Amino acid sequence: MMTEDVILYTLSTCPWCRKSKAYLNERNIPFDNIEYDLADEETKEMIRNVIEESGEKLAFPFLKKGDQCICGYNPKKYAEILGR
Amino acid sequence: MDTEKRKAQYREMFGRVADALGYKFSPDEEIVDFILEQEVTLEKKHGNPFCPCQGLKGNREEDMKIVCPCIPFNREHFDAMKRCWCGLFVHKDVEDPDELEQLAYSEFNS
Repeated sequence: MMTEDVILYTLSTCPWCRKSKAYLNERNIPFDNIEYDLADEETKEMIRNVIEESGEKLAFPFLKKGDQCICGYNPKKYAEILGR
Repeated sequence: MDTEKRKAQYREMFGRVADALGYKFSPDEEIVDFILEQEVTLEKKHGNPFCPCQGLKGNREEDMKIVCPCIPFNREHFDAMKRCWCGLFVHKDVEDPDELEQLAYSEFNS
């Protein structure tokens, strides 16, 4: 079975993005983090495409695990898809 | 640009706009101060105090819609959350901002 990596797209200026990172770190959930505002143009475009394809506005934090996405800091939904 | 002075100016300018829209600054002073500080940083870097929790697209027309306070461009979505996306502003009747959640646009729109 393929492992579904957790990816967290954030902004360096966003307090809720910091809370999202803290949530994952406190639960020892490994994740890749890309800060949209600090990324190169190619990466930004990739992130915009991912977020827009999910039907969201370009709002952060944006967590992705496999096909599941959560836009916004939402501990209840994080627990549902991350299992802790 | 003096950061503290600019933050004080934002409080006055943004406060007036938010008030007319039925919003007020969040009672969570720590988050308000942090967000205003980020907005000063964004203004220094990009020329406008953009929302610190929404991304710039590089398209001026679209990007101007996330200049703070961006409530008019997201009115129904923010009204449903009783807060703006970054949480700088909450509905005037909100006493505890910790009870409010960031409701994803797709969820609001479904």
